[in-house]
Amino acid sequence: MNRITRRVATIGIIAALGVGGTMGGVMAQDQTLRIAMGSPGEAGIRVWDDVKAQYEAAHPGWTVEMNYMDDDLYQTIGLQNLLAGRNAPDIYFEWTGSRLAQRYADGYAADLTAAVTTGPIAGLFDDTVFPAATIDGKVVMLPHTADVTNVLWYNKQILADNGITPPTTWAELLAACDTLNAAGIIPIASGNKDLWAAGNWLAHMASRVVGEDVYASTLGGAGKFATPEWEQAFGYIAELTTHHCVNDSANAIDDNSGAQLFFQGKAAMHAIGSWLVSWAIDEAPTLDFDYVNLPAMPDGAGNQDSVIGVETGYIVNAKSDKIDAAVDYLALLNSDANVQQFIVAEITPIAKSASAGAAVDSRAQRLLDLLAGAPAVVLPPDTGYDLKMADALYAAEAAVLGGQMSPADALAGIDAALGR
Amino acid sequence: MKPARGITPWLFLAPGLVVFGFAVLLPMVLTIGYSFTDWNGFGAMTFVGLDNYARAASDAVFRGSFVHVVLYIAATLVLEVGVGLGLAGLVSMRPGRLWFRVAIFTPVMLPLVVVAVLWAFVYNPDFGLINGALAAVGLQGLQRIWLGDTATALLAVSFVSGWVFAGFYMMIFYAAFRQVPSEVVEAARLDGAGEWALFRRVKVPMIRGATGIAVLLCVTGGFQGFDLFFVLTNGGPYGATEIPTTLLVKTVFRNGEVGYGSAMAVVLTAVVVSLGLVYARLTAGGRSSVGRSR
Amino acid sequence: MSRLLVSVALGLLALVYFLPLIWMVLSSFKTNQAIFAAPFELPTSIDLSKWAEAWHVGNLGRYAINSTIVTSASVFLILVTGAAAAFAFSRYRFRGRSLALGLFALGLLLPLQSYFIAQSNLFTQMAITDTLMALIIPYTALGLPLAVYLLKVYLDALPDELFEAARIDGAGDARVFRELALPLLRPGLATVAIFSALACWNEFLLALLYIQDDDLKTIPTGLLAFSSRYVTDYSLLFSALSIVTIPMIVIYVVFNRHIVEGITAGSVK
Repeated sequence: MNRITRRVATIGIIAALGVGGTMGGVMAQDQTLRIAMGSPGEAGIRVWDDVKAQYEAAHPGWTVEMNYMDDDLYQTIGLQNLLAGRNAPDIYFEWTGSRLAQRYADGYAADLTAAVTTGPIAGLFDDTVFPAATIDGKVVMLPHTADVTNVLWYNKQILADNGITPPTTWAELLAACDTLNAAGIIPIASGNKDLWAAGNWLAHMASRVVGEDVYASTLGGAGKFATPEWEQAFGYIAELTTHHCVNDSANAIDDNSGAQLFFQGKAAMHAIGSWLVSWAIDEAPTLDFDYVNLPAMPDGAGNQDSVIGVETGYIVNAKSDKIDAAVDYLALLNSDANVQQFIVAEITPIAKSASAGAAVDSRAQRLLDLLAGAPAVVLPPDTGYDLKMADALYAAEAAVLGGQMSPADALAGIDAALGR
Repeated sequence: MKPARGITPWLFLAPGLVVFGFAVLLPMVLTIGYSFTDWNGFGAMTFVGLDNYARAASDAVFRGSFVHVVLYIAATLVLEVGVGLGLAGLVSMRPGRLWFRVAIFTPVMLPLVVVAVLWAFVYNPDFGLINGALAAVGLQGLQRIWLGDTATALLAVSFVSGWVFAGFYMMIFYAAFRQVPSEVVEAARLDGAGEWALFRRVKVPMIRGATGIAVLLCVTGGFQGFDLFFVLTNGGPYGATEIPTTLLVKTVFRNGEVGYGSAMAVVLTAVVVSLGLVYARLTAGGRSSVGRSR
Repeated sequence: MSRLLVSVALGLLALVYFLPLIWMVLSSFKTNQAIFAAPFELPTSIDLSKWAEAWHVGNLGRYAINSTIVTSASVFLILVTGAAAAFAFSRYRFRGRSLALGLFALGLLLPLQSYFIAQSNLFTQMAITDTLMALIIPYTALGLPLAVYLLKVYLDALPDELFEAARIDGAGDARVFRELALPLLRPGLATVAIFSALACWNEFLLALLYIQDDDLKTIPTGLLAFSSRYVTDYSLLFSALSIVTIPMIVIYVVFNRHIVEGITAGSVK
């Protein structure tokens, strides 16, 4: 016992000294670029780590600190805490829409207009990509890629084996569910424990039914959810449940486990965003799969070819004292060679050279084209609108999907939660 | 004990008081202050009086979270304290089973997050240990989506809690049993008492003090449970495992409602502290207690 | 006969208890496909390369170092400040004594939730979040009440004559504390050290809120970050879980007597 105490005390003293030492060290040097984002997946991490190495090689004395955070955490408390903290990131990932506007309003988004017109980044991008990243006439974010946050992925082999063609209408989708269930295969895998995975998908479906305008105004805070058109939309979620379209475990497992059901061939389809392609590189390299956009909804008021998606990119922290270095870094990130690396990782950047180079006929590129050519773009509830509203909407969708609530009760529940 | 000699005792006290005051007492007072405001953590702070408390009283989710945590505590009283007592009884019958105590106590050593990540896999409906084991012995009918079914989720979390802490309470009871005078046990044996009667009528009544402490630890610790819930269900499915702490973290750190969250925190604190005081009063001058890591 | 029965029952119980941990280690040697297809089959080979990969890519070494620094610094501070405070309470009668003692007693009961909201705000404003101090300070404060209380119980049990004798020999207050009280307190200090070390090593909520920088994370939050970064590689995740778990079991088996005594004394006293 005595020995333990003494040893603990000794370690404590050494550690206390060590902590003091490293803290002093960090204070003194300031040649560290800090970059924060949600996890881009293993293939993406390899590219980011390589860009970091390139930068450090080209700028002796500088180090780049990458912070890959859990997506959900990053989106909620993670980034908020980072920005307020002592080692605030110099460059950080963000979604366009209300989130970008908030960062700008809080003074965390540096003006990049000069950098993209005459500075190091000039000429790397087509001017058409900047409007979504522009506030008050200033470019405040460098777009990097765009995510289609939901399409319907399908396993080619399983559908062919069961004589199913990729569903393009609601009736076809329900029929496919019945056929697949009869064959003992999960029709659509979903990992909705954190509520956004199916939530995003079902919100897109609802937007097709209620129409983009009603969708935007209701989510934006005007009016109640408990209306006939929303009830009709939620009625379709209930139909998914009746036809047993989604795995029973949907609301119990997280999005990774949901993807795993699809990768392991236990499920025929998977409703999730464009990042699935990148994940599959490591997890299911041999799986032959493709996607269709969400099937057309009967009697929908919305555009039945709408796409749900959002442009994302990197903001330079206006409070950073290394803005020039950060801009250099972003230029390097979008160099032709690095853009090609991202394409190999199935993350297709928006930079000009992505489409200018060797023709890339990847699914990721087709998804980008789908978004670019969409007749109507629907913003995801959790990045385009208020997060509390999105939580309430997602929880209601999950309750209907899990057969826990009727559409009417679930919608009334959203209004109650939001005090509408 | 020496009478006051000016500043000397305060010099000894100062370092501890400073740390404790800065990290605990000051924030506690501030939290009470926040609870009367409407504040998002960085913007303007408006005084709203008792509004947050009124809102908490009428918030069905908040009230539900107390129901859930009470159910959880009730389950853990059986699965942690009850099972721990039983195990201690078994072990004290057959002393020297060191390896057994090692096995049962090991989970107490592990970070609860590690335990929770592991058990998320054990409960995984598609390849987890439990559903797999049921299939292996031909009991597919008993398979469940353990963490996704409102009927089983809370119990499933309580079970993990039992797996971890039953060993902890076993050790407390084991230590208490060892202090039961052997003459008493021998006398009962001579009177013809079997092992079970010995356990129930002699040993258990003699360790009432330890039992009281175990119950207090389990109850006050239960109110502070967070790690297991956060990783395993984070309040789901459909809010069935939402407890005050997970709700608090969501309210403050996800929705940015610092004022309202603080009011919730004050209510929770009042409940825990009064339970502790009731216990202290019951055992009149009895020894106080500690929390365990949850 | 009944003895044998008890032994068998204990053996079975122990096995069931360990099953999840055994399954965890076995799964770390299997591929995703094998985990899905046959969760119970034994791995075809024991290949430690996944463990090495988990250690290497998962930053586990960094997390372990951080946990060690935070735990040992906190425990050291708890012991020093706790022993000094307990000495004051035990050896002196002074104005404000019962108030100060009452504050620490309150600390025994206060849940973390009663102060962590404002604490996080305070730390953010003082810019100590994302440093290890953001954990060391609250962990020390968290462990103090128990330390003060326990050590006071130990000191109270020491005979007054001992201290009187020292004083007659001309020892000052500081010297009495350092050369008499501290050595006599050793068993108590060891108990407090073990109890506090375990609590610091495993703490999760504050670490989740105060540390976002991956290089400063401790084992609990680091492991959670790991599990969401390498999202779908289960054998890698099982390897990381095993790497974190097995040393704890070894430490426990080696020191089990002290640990059990420390923890039970800490909760019963």
